[in-house]
Amino acid sequence: MGLTRRQFLKMAGVSGAGAVVFAGCNIPDEELWVQSPVNLPEDLVTGVDNWYATVCRQCASAEGLLVRVMEGRAKKIQGNPDYPTNAGKHSARCEAQLQELYHPDRIAQPMARDGDGFLPVGPGADPYADSLEWLVNTLDSLKGRASRVALITPPLRGHLGQVVSRFASDYGLRYLTLETLGEGVLRQAVKDVFNADRLPHFDIANAAFVLNFGSDFLSTWVSPVSLARAYGKFRNVEGHERGTFVHVGPRFSMTAANADRWMPVRPGTEGVLALGLAKIIIEHGWADPQAVQAVTGGRGGAALEAFDIDRVVRETGMGDYFGVDEHGVSKAIPKIERLAEDFATHGPALAIGGGETAAQTNGLQNMRAILTLNYLVGSVGQKGGVLLNPDSAVPSVPASAGGASFNQWRAFTDALRSGDIDLVIVRGADPVHSLANLDFGGALARASSVVTFGNFWNETALRSTIVLPEHTSLEEWGDDVPEPGPGHQTLGFQQPVVRPVLNTRSFGDVLIQSAERLGVAQGPSGLTMQELVRSGAEELFRQNRGLIIGATDAEEYLKAALSRGVWSDPNTKGPQAGSAPEFDREIPSPQQDGNGRFFLVPYLSNALGGGEGAHLPWLQAAPDPITTVVWKSWVELNEKTADELELRIGDVVRVEGPSGAIELPVYFHPALPPDVVAIPVGQGHKENGRYARDRGANVMSILGWSTETTTGSSAWAASRVNLVKTGEHVTMSRNEGTTGIIREPHPGEIIGVTTHAQM
Amino acid sequence: MAEPQVDVKWSMVVDIDKCTGCQACVVACQSENNVPISTQELYDQRRQMTWIRVERYWEGDFPDVKARYIPIMCQHCDTAPCEPVCPVFATYHNNEGLNVQVYNRCVGTRYCANNCPYQVRFFNFWEPVWPDSLKNQLNPDVTVRSRGIMEKCSFCVQRLRRSERDAAQNGDDRPADDAFDPSHGAFAPACVRACPTDALVFGDANNPNSRVASLAHSDRRYHLLEHLGTEPNVIYLKKIDPEAGDGNHE
Repeated sequence: MGLTRRQFLKMAGVSGAGAVVFAGCNIPDEELWVQSPVNLPEDLVTGVDNWYATVCRQCASAEGLLVRVMEGRAKKIQGNPDYPTNAGKHSARCEAQLQELYHPDRIAQPMARDGDGFLPVGPGADPYADSLEWLVNTLDSLKGRASRVALITPPLRGHLGQVVSRFASDYGLRYLTLETLGEGVLRQAVKDVFNADRLPHFDIANAAFVLNFGSDFLSTWVSPVSLARAYGKFRNVEGHERGTFVHVGPRFSMTAANADRWMPVRPGTEGVLALGLAKIIIEHGWADPQAVQAVTGGRGGAALEAFDIDRVVRETGMGDYFGVDEHGVSKAIPKIERLAEDFATHGPALAIGGGETAAQTNGLQNMRAILTLNYLVGSVGQKGGVLLNPDSAVPSVPASAGGASFNQWRAFTDALRSGDIDLVIVRGADPVHSLANLDFGGALARASSVVTFGNFWNETALRSTIVLPEHTSLEEWGDDVPEPGPGHQTLGFQQPVVRPVLNTRSFGDVLIQSAERLGVAQGPSGLTMQELVRSGAEELFRQNRGLIIGATDAEEYLKAALSRGVWSDPNTKGPQAGSAPEFDREIPSPQQDGNGRFFLVPYLSNALGGGEGAHLPWLQAAPDPITTVVWKSWVELNEKTADELELRIGDVVRVEGPSGAIELPVYFHPALPPDVVAIPVGQGHKENGRYARDRGANVMSILGWSTETTTGSSAWAASRVNLVKTGEHVTMSRNEGTTGIIREPHPGEIIGVTTHAQM
Repeated sequence: MAEPQVDVKWSMVVDIDKCTGCQACVVACQSENNVPISTQELYDQRRQMTWIRVERYWEGDFPDVKARYIPIMCQHCDTAPCEPVCPVFATYHNNEGLNVQVYNRCVGTRYCANNCPYQVRFFNFWEPVWPDSLKNQLNPDVTVRSRGIMEKCSFCVQRLRRSERDAAQNGDDRPADDAFDPSHGAFAPACVRACPTDALVFGDANNPNSRVASLAHSDRRYHLLEHLGTEPNVIYLKKIDPEAGDGNHE
């Protein structure tokens, strides 16, 4: 039997030199495990932990999670291994929900405007009930003028989406969904090309070649944890040929950084490149003749005669970026030809796109061209290609949700300015920050009342009449159909893993109760969100298929569903895609707002998203994957351009855009094209808690108003800006250069690189 | 001093071909191990606490640029430079391959950090501070380190011990084999459990059936700063770049 800790301390004391004891005998290892209390002395009892399954609500991808709870406190978040999209993995943003739950600046009780500030609602016995009474009375008084009431939320799926949509239609109010740097163009392109209403499953895991245009799918695009998990499998070399990945786009993003090849192009010219690639593939006979017939309307390569390689090189800017060889021939030409051959001959090949590629005035044509490439190489409906997702297994639960278009937001902002809106209810969104280029905050001031359901003093809450704190996602009931799904039917179950920490309510329950009291509920009434979740499980119990079978009654089924956190049926499949569409014969040139020297590419922050995570210290302190900057925002600039402008890292410049100007420090980005600057979204909050207050600037405030011409979605990557030196300089807080183990390593000393994909 | 024969050797394999730089591991580690918040001021003082960090290196010039990511944590070296310089044996090597930091022995000389070539040891220059409400999240299995104490990656030793205890309660000699699965393993460190691409794999290198043992024999294996001879228990797998081919790489 080994020494106890107390015996050891006695020995050390007697010897007068503890170190001698160590050197002279071998202390049993368990005596040295003092980091872990599990083997500490007999007077210490370790707690019992419980793991609860739920669904993440930190961003739209909604991963399945397991939450460790001890003594009523949530301690740790991990991915749910049973959840088919994220399969046990999770992101930094998922994890940081813990800090949202216990954030010191969470709004603890209903607050009402008092002059320029806010005071707790009171002095009644139940301030929350009093606040809801006021809200219901206000809604009741506006019942005959429902179009003067507006509700704003992020895109919502699951039963909450159903409750909110039903409330909006039953009451008759204006309902708008807000998505910062939205993907409305992608959704329309998926509809046009695949005849699908839901985003498809891009089967990266089983692809051999991935050609990505613009989307930052490893960081923030659509469902990054699920796509990153697939990327890990795609890169596997164990019994599998390592996939090849090429990224095309104007910004060297985190996703571009992981590509085997990056092809820089000017914003909005991706579609020209896609059609140029199609022309080469068809002319070389690398595509299936039937597919060629379909996508060219029977004309073959002649249908794409406008997209000869000289035009592609010229319009994409690749001619300028890559220069010419000793014979005066563009170095871009062999790169484009090689890309076409690799994509067509290394199947299964997958073409995906989005982000800044779609957010152009010609974004829909870009995206149609890119997605149609999948038909050309036979990847639609095939393993390693594009697989359509089936509908929700529970018919009442919405399985897809996108944001309102920029044109809809403009019309709504005009209505606000015209005094046509009396009451605005906002939940889970910050339109004053996200629509700063529309001066949404100024317009909102014209509304008689603004009610915000939220937990932090973001820009919208600060302009509210009343602020009602709500449950965080770890405190409430819900469910979700992941979008994009994994290619088969899935329903995730969200349950409270801890009791509510503060005096808060579930927004869904509030709406259900309000609808009943207003007498506008046309659907099933008397149900809470918990009961709606139960009804979804009961529907699955009746179907008796998929992941959970064998339950004897609905109650047992619900318990099984909640303990697993998910139901799915891998035997289900999505519909077949429609017949291949024809390539567009022409793509209009992209139009930019403003006449500045630089193209501006804004992007969602890897950790902060569009600002939803800015109040959380773990996310503020997580280094940006490219710049390694923390706790700030910045403008990325090609280092040679910076030299030309005589700028140093940390020099502050005024970025002048179509809708305004902001000041930001410069970061030298060796991989950014010389005519492009990039700025992350997410910072620039005046309040939003102690960790977000007065950090950086909000790039949304300087974007132009251009829209994609067909959908009216924001062309948020179609602004041009100028940079003006301010003469100020700040320290760029960042990881780079502060802990690097060797500043200028020899090749292979830190980063080992091999050209061969051995095991 | 000679260590007794043991049958476990905890090791981690880091496949930098799969690391995307997403920071999931970084935040997962901070959450699990009660790592103090690295404020902007700490970053500016170069005193940020990151038991695991992702370094990014640039190669080349526009437009032929590459960014390379590498997660770096305590390498749990078999011949660790940090161990012999500790005057109070606060850091030592146990017989499971772990470089152990005993907080209640540490007197804060910082000799270990000076001698660590990987810069993965972090000194508490100040008492760690959390707002009271955030303390609700702290992991009760992990000691909060006080001012004057050195800290670093422990391979989430608290998870190892908990799973061993759970195995013992079930009458098993060791955690079940399926616990070695990097995705499902009860004792997989928090960073491994989070990593979306499975770039991080953890397990017993002495178990020939473990994935970590299999990967450790890869042709792509190397050690960080291998020439120093520290014999780390963290094994890296080289980035695969078919385009590299410039003679600078192996």
